[in-house]
Parts: sequence; C-alpha cells; structure tokens
Amino acid sequence: MNSLQGLLYGLSIAATPSNLLAAFVGAFAGTAIGVLPGLGPVAGVALILPLTFSLDPTAGLIMMAGIFYGSMYGGSTTAILLNIPGESASVVTAIDGYQLAKKGRAGATLTIVAVGSFVGGTLAVIGVMMFSSLLAKVAILFGPAEFFALTAGGLIVMSRISGGTLASALLPMTLGLMLGTIGQEAVTGETRFTFGLPDLAEGVSLVPVVVGLYGFAELMLLVEDRAHAANRPESVKMRDLLPTRTEWKRAVPSWLRGTFLGFLFGLVPGPAATLASFASYRLEKAASKHGSEIGSGAIEGVAGPEAANNSAATASLVPLLALGIPFTPIAALMISAMLVQGIQPGPLLITQHPEIFWGLIASAYIGNVMLLALNIPMVGVWVSLLRIPHYLFIPLLLVLSVIGTYSVRNSIFDVWVLLAAGIVGYAFNKMKFQLAPLVVGLILGPNIEKHFREALFLSQGDPWIYVESPIAVGVWLLVAAILIAGFIARRRAAFADAMAQESSL
Amino acid sequence: MRFQLNFRRMAWVSLALLAVAPPQARAADEWPTRDITFYVPYAPGGSTDPISRKYSELLEKQLKVKVIVENKPGASATIGTGAVIRAQPDGYTIGLGSTSSLAYQPLEMKGLVWKSASDYQSIVKLSDLPAILAVPADARWKTFEEFVAEAKEKPRKLKVSVSGLRSANDINIQQLNKLSGARIVTVPFTGGGGESTLAALGGRVDGTCGYAPGMKGQIDAGKLRVLAVFQQGKYDLIPDAKPIGETPWKETFPVGYYVIAPNGLPKPVLDKLMAASKTIVESDEFKSFLKANGYTWDPKLGDDMKKELEAYDGKFRAILKFLDDDK
Repeated sequence: MNSLQGLLYGLSIAATPSNLLAAFVGAFAGTAIGVLPGLGPVAGVALILPLTFSLDPTAGLIMMAGIFYGSMYGGSTTAILLNIPGESASVVTAIDGYQLAKKGRAGATLTIVAVGSFVGGTLAVIGVMMFSSLLAKVAILFGPAEFFALTAGGLIVMSRISGGTLASALLPMTLGLMLGTIGQEAVTGETRFTFGLPDLAEGVSLVPVVVGLYGFAELMLLVEDRAHAANRPESVKMRDLLPTRTEWKRAVPSWLRGTFLGFLFGLVPGPAATLASFASYRLEKAASKHGSEIGSGAIEGVAGPEAANNSAATASLVPLLALGIPFTPIAALMISAMLVQGIQPGPLLITQHPEIFWGLIASAYIGNVMLLALNIPMVGVWVSLLRIPHYLFIPLLLVLSVIGTYSVRNSIFDVWVLLAAGIVGYAFNKMKFQLAPLVVGLILGPNIEKHFREALFLSQGDPWIYVESPIAVGVWLLVAAILIAGFIARRRAAFADAMAQESSL
Repeated sequence: MRFQLNFRRMAWVSLALLAVAPPQARAADEWPTRDITFYVPYAPGGSTDPISRKYSELLEKQLKVKVIVENKPGASATIGTGAVIRAQPDGYTIGLGSTSSLAYQPLEMKGLVWKSASDYQSIVKLSDLPAILAVPADARWKTFEEFVAEAKEKPRKLKVSVSGLRSANDINIQQLNKLSGARIVTVPFTGGGGESTLAALGGRVDGTCGYAPGMKGQIDAGKLRVLAVFQQGKYDLIPDAKPIGETPWKETFPVGYYVIAPNGLPKPVLDKLMAASKTIVESDEFKSFLKANGYTWDPKLGDDMKKELEAYDGKFRAILKFLDDDK
C-alpha cells in the first residue's frame, strides 16, 4: 500500500460516523481542557483513557489524538488573552501574544494561532505519512551523549530567549535549574532536597509552576490595576477579529519555519512540543525580518511557536507508531490504550493493523480541519470573555486554576506550589526579571542531568563519550555558531547605535 | 414546637436502633454499601494501570458497587501505597502494591509506615510480570549460554540496559552475576523502559533487560532476539525464550502485583473481599487478560501472598548485600 492508497483507506475508516464523532468529541473536549489553565494535554488524555477501553481501538485512539491536538490548540487561548499559558508549550506564546492582545489585536492573534496550528499540524501529518518508516531511524541515532548536547546546548542558546538583560534572564534560569534538582534523581531514584516530605519526592512539577508564575501572578497584577478595571474593551468589532494583510504576510514564513523545526523535535525523545515552541521562538528572533520587535508584540513570536508545537505533537506519532516506543507521557498513554485492546505497537503495526495506522493518520487530517472550524468561530467568544467584569472574572479563573492544577495528579501539594509560584512570579514581574528562562531551566535541567549521567554510565566513566559521535559534535558546533553570530550582531547593533548618536551630536 | 417534637422522636428512634444492633457491625455486615476506591500508586500508562482496571472492573461485577480507580503516583510508588495502608480499615479503600513498593522500598527508604508484610492486610496476588533479556537481531550471541559464557570470560565488558538503577530488571541481572560469576555491566536508563530498549536497538549496549509488553513490537519485527526470560517455567508470550529456571542460576525477581488493604478490616468485610478476589483471579476472563498482556498467572490469597512477600524481603536483603560487597 503506498501513501495515497493508505490515506484513502484511512479516510474510509476515519470517516465512519462513529469515528468522526470520536474525533469531534476529542477535539472539542481537548479544546476545552486546553483552555482551562493547568489542565494540559497529558491530563486530558489521562482522563479519557479509561473511557477508551470501552470503545473500539481505532475510535479510542482517534479520540485520544483529538484531545491531544485540541488541547494544543486551546492552550494558547488563555496565554494570549490573559497571559496565562494553558500548558507548558504555550509559555512563549504568552510573551508576544499578550502584548498583541493589549494592543487590541487579540482576535487577529487568535486567528493567526488557529491557522498556524492547522498549518503545523497538517504539514506534519503529511511528513508522518510520507516518511514514517524512514524517520523512525532518527530516534535510534540519538543516545545519551547526543541528547546531552541537544539539551545542554539548548539551555545555552535559550538563555536569552525573552530578551531583557543577561542578568534578568540568568537568575530565573538558575532558579529553574535548582528547582529541577528537587526530588528523586532520575537514574538512581535517590531523593534530594525533599526535607523528608514525600510530596517533594516527585519533584516540583511543571504545571503548577507555569500556571502560578504566569497565571496567579497575572491575576494579582490585574487586581492592582484599577485603571484597567474601569477601562474594559467595549465591544469587539469584526474588523479587529481578522488579521490585516500585513499580519498574514508576516505570519506565513514563521509558520513554515515553526512547522519544520517542530517536526524535527517531534522525532526525538523529550518534551518535544514545549521545546519546539521555545526553539521556534528563538529561531524567529534570529531569522525573522522583524526579529527585533519580538518580545514587544510581534505576530512572528506567536505564529512560529504555535505552528511548531502542533507540528511537534503530530511528529511525535512517528516514534510511537513506527517504533512502539513512547517518548512522551501522552505517547505512553496511547500505547497503554493499544495494549489493553491487544494491539502491539511497533514496526509491524502498519502491516498488522493498517486500520489503526492509517485511521489515525487520516483522522489527524480530519481533526485539524475540525479544530480550525471549531476555533475560528470561537475567537469572537473568547475575546468577549475579556469584557466580563474583573470581580467575577478573577475569582473564576482562580478557582479554575486551582482545580486544574489539583486534578493533574490529585495532589493538594501542587496547589501550594501554585500559590508559591504565583508569589515568585509577581515579585519577578515587579523586579523586571524574565519568567520564560525559569521555565526553560526547570524543563531542561532534569533532562540535561539525566542524559549526562546516562552517558557516563554507558561509557563507564569516560567523559570523551560526549564528543565521540558526529551528531553530538555537530550540535555543539551549531550552538557555538549561534552564540558567535548573536555576539557579532549585538556588537554591530551597539556600533550602529554609537555611530547614530555620534552623527546626531 | 414541631421541630422539637421531631427531634425528640428521632432521638428515640436512633436509640432503639442502637439497642438492636451496634452500627459498626451492621456496616461491616452490609459492606459494601457505597463506592470503593482502588488506589494505583503509579501513573496511567505502563503495566500497572491496565491490570488494576481489569481487577476493579471484575470486582464491580462481584460486589455490585462502583470501584473507582485513582492513580496516586510518586516516590517510587510509596505515596499511593502509604495512602492505602494509612486509610480507614473499612473496606472502602484498597489498592495495588508491587514487589518493589511492598518489599524492596522499605529496605531503601526511611520513614515508610510499612516495614514488613505484617503492616498491611494481604488480599490477593494478581500476577507476575517476568523480565526478559534481549539482544539486537544482528548480535553475535544466538543463545543465552553464549552470552553468559562471554560475560564470564570478559568481566565488565558486556553492557545491558535496564530501566533504572536497582529496578527489578537490574536486580535480575545482578542476581545472575551473583550466581553465575559473570560480570555483566548494567546501564540504567529512565523513561519507562523505552529509552532502555532504544539503546539496544541503536547498538549502544549489548543487550537489554526489560518487560515483554513494551518490546513485543520489536521482537515480532525481528529487530530484537530474546535470549532468556527471568522466570521458572516457559513464558507464554515468548515461548522460545529460555526460562532462567532451566539454567543453573535459578533464582529470579519477577515483578509481582498484589492487592492490599489497611490492617484491621472487620472480619465480614475481609471474608467477602477475599471470596470476591478468589472468584476474580480464577475466572477465565482474568486469566485470558493476563495471558494476552504478558503477565504470568500465579494467584496467591491472603496468608500465601504474605509468605511470598516475606520471602522477598530476605531475597532483596541478600542481593543488596552482594551489591555492596561487589563494589
């Protein structure tokens, strides 16, 4: 069966009424879950997992995939409107998205995001469909040393992700790295800095930190801001919901860059969607014509990362379907769903269960179209949420954030973390520190350490392992090139500034 | 005034009820009258969640009340296990335990509320999940004997990936080292066995020790060759694998899954729960579920299960001592 025949076969499966319903329910529930702060894709899929046991395997997986994509779509909504990322992959979306919303471009930005997610998701499905078996080998090329290069190099490159001074980024990043060391060390299970609290043994989880740092802090700032409370947006005009011609034009290259980058990230283990969105943001800063505007409300800073995280989410189906090896918690849940149904994911899946493979691929196309159709009309609804009076809106969001955070792993401890992170986020905001580097540190720190240790276990203590493979060396060279290019660009800018000042004198 | 009258009447009625039967005994006799919570001390995904849900589903049918499965992961499964052991012994909170959380963790972790199998009520053993040893398809070892022979000849040269330091997979390899005199190096990976399998597929290690359900896809596709299974008899899922029980180095550490309750369950509750559990583990539906998912059927009720866990305590102590001495 070639790809086209496979796709047609898949469409014949995905387009049955029950599977269409599964895709719709998944996409709809996913969007709702993504919009709720704290509840992200993992929680959403975990909630639905028991339900899928009673469905037939294809419908169950289609529904899970729908939730997955849907929550990736939905997570950015609150990030843009309220500066509260619904899940960790939307953290960078909040930076420029919220600035754009403040300028009255919320509707346009949401439209750009919905279309960008569609572009990223759809192009990635094409990639998965065409090259799945070929790309599965990419994952095998990556071992601990290569991942160490990727994650540690990534940390260095992303240290200046959200602009500002170097100090305002490094301190939060260090704090993030420190928080990442709390709990059980990944390889040996040795507990560190837990002060005997069993809750800390799992470490500080990402969701309460992200929702607290951004969401809680933002709510506190909103309470403070009496001027804004009196001066709400009156009504939303249709014209403001649609992007202008320039905005469309600026978004297209960013979508394509984000899609490509996200696809690559999806192929290798790790928190692909989150990392892809961060990396794409960094790439936009360097590659876009309007790179200097990023951070103060540029459409590229939203378009790139959103295309990237959807593309990565879709591409992460490759290792799942072709290797049967889960790289993300969601993939693990999907494999669990398959195993319960007696289906063995792996290299033979495509021949033994073509209905699953092609049905899932085809439903990804359908799901993306569905999400676009679902989200574009919703833009107006979301934007009008901003008109709810603050005395109703703030308590409501507060309650939703707490519920969302609690339900991820039924832990009241996480609610305390949420509160603490909120206070830290508020203080950092006041002191003009950047928040994104803290999140980067918390995500990458444990990964860097894990790969660092695994590599040393593998080489039995020989440090040369880090630079023995061509891939690892290649990654390090790339990191060096990015740093040098950034340095030169800054020197040039400083020089040009000095010249300009001189000539104006 | 009517309110007062009503109140008085209610007081008389309840007094009368108290005289007829002590409320506690009545509650125990009628158990279960409301939903039962089944704690799974692991996150969904992996081998623990499906088996818990299957047992709960069958228990629902037996007891005619809802059994709610709640995942309470963390701290090597000790958070969820502790939640069960500390719960009210009324039969409405039970949960899953494993050889690791029940027998191994108390040796490693301080301050747990359970030190031995006497600190909780053993209900039923659901299954064993044996570890398997697999090598990449193009590896030079065709049999388990060849692999062990080379590991003896060249100590600390052959590497086997495992999912975590001192995980059951690691312990199985160490036990083999201890008994055979070979010295296979274990390389711990994290990420639920996936990365450990990947390391073998990518040729970074010589073999991998893990669980068949996660590796079956690669085995069927001919990318991995299974050399041995760490259990006593033939393994239904992979009949070609050599059982360690048929080699000179018989002792193995399968991961056992058990149902536990807090100590002090009222006798009627305990009897009813045991009877229901016995029917479940002996049912054909449960057996075929185990077989399809690579679990081994080895039911043990109450005190038999307790004896097995007590024996594991000694086995774990012995292998930990060997690892300390062998440093």
